[in-house]
Formats: sequence, structure tokens, C-alpha cells
Amino acid sequence: MAARMALLKHLRVSVVRFAPQNPNFNTPFSSLGNLLQRRRFSDEVRGSFLDKSEVTDRVVTVVKNFQKVDPSKVTPNAHFQNDLGLDSLDTVEVVMALEEEFGFEIPDNEADKINSINLAVDFIASHPQAK
Amino acid sequence: MASLVPPPGRSEVLSLFRSLLRTSRKFADYNIREYAKRRTIDAFRHNKELSDPTVIAAAFSEGKTQLEVATRQAVVYSLYAPKVKSVMEIV
Repeated sequence: MAARMALLKHLRVSVVRFAPQNPNFNTPFSSLGNLLQRRRFSDEVRGSFLDKSEVTDRVVTVVKNFQKVDPSKVTPNAHFQNDLGLDSLDTVEVVMALEEEFGFEIPDNEADKINSINLAVDFIASHPQAK
Repeated sequence: MASLVPPPGRSEVLSLFRSLLRTSRKFADYNIREYAKRRTIDAFRHNKELSDPTVIAAAFSEGKTQLEVATRQAVVYSLYAPKVKSVMEIV
């Protein structure tokens, strides 16, 4: 946890450093305001949304590569348990594999809800930090 | 031996599973990382059919202990991380 906090802290600093300047910002608290402004609007924090069809392709590829899945059954509408025969442990593994593919962490309460490729795609495409 | 600890619910078990997998990703050494992941998956599969609440509670608490061990060891091993990557990570 300590290492993680140290890492996060480090990342925050770099976000401020690389953030674009805002020339129109002139208030008495401009230095603080600038900092907040740049933090809030920097690309690294906000991220960018991925294209849905690209997300679908990558999710399908990840699921196909999961060893217990029959690749021919994987469609963009497949349900993990009903269509692919995965149990709850497999589902957790698939969601973890998706985290690795898209480079961000899915919180437990969201991860619990993901039980089909559609839901996974919707969540990832609506998450700014997915890359 | 009757246990007073209530057996964990489904979501708690899945949460422990996820925590163990997350922790296993933190090991710097490829072999340990893969072992921790494989060991976690195998153990949960192995205990999938447990039905006795006492046995389930015991397995759950064993898993929590292992999570503490893994969390600690991931930090300790990071101090002695291998200087070169495993060939498995390069190819």
C-alpha cells in the first residue's frame, strides 16, 4: 500500500507538469486556481474514451484467449455464464484479464456486475482511464 | 469442533479471490507472480465444492491469512527484485 501511494503521488506530480497552460485564467488565486484547473482538465486525469467497436474487438480477443472458453462461441453478445459456461471464479479471472488489457483497475462493486461481453464493453467504453 | 465464525458469503469469497489475484500481480519476479496467481486459482477451484459451513469458514480464514502473507511478501520481495527480466516476459 505504501508503495502504491508513493506511485500515485508520483503520477499526480507528472500530471501537473505535463498539463497544458491556461492563458485566460487570471484571478487573485491564479496559482492555486491554475493548479486545480490544470489538474481537472489535464488529459492524463480525464483520459479519453475509447471507441466502442475497438473495445468490443479487444474484449472479444481477451475472452477468446481465456483457456476455458471455446473461441467459436465468443460473440459480442455472449453471456459469460449462460453462453460460455464460465462460473463465478472464471468471471473474476476474465475481468482481471480485461483490467490488464485496458490498463486500469475495475472496482469490486463494478466488477461484480460484469457478467457478459456487452456489459464489459459498456463499462470499459464509458471509463475514461481505459487505454 | 464447532466454529462461531459464520461462513463467508459468495461475494466475500469472490472478493478474497480478487484480492489474492490483485496481490499476486504485484510480485516483481515473474516466477513468483505466476505461481501466486496459479496457486490462488487452483486453491479456489479445489475448494469449490465445499459445503460444510465450518470447513468453508476455515478455508476462508486460511485464504485471508495467505492474503496477508502475499501482501507482505510482495513488498519485501520488491526490495530484492530481480535485476533482469525472466525470459518468459521478453518473448
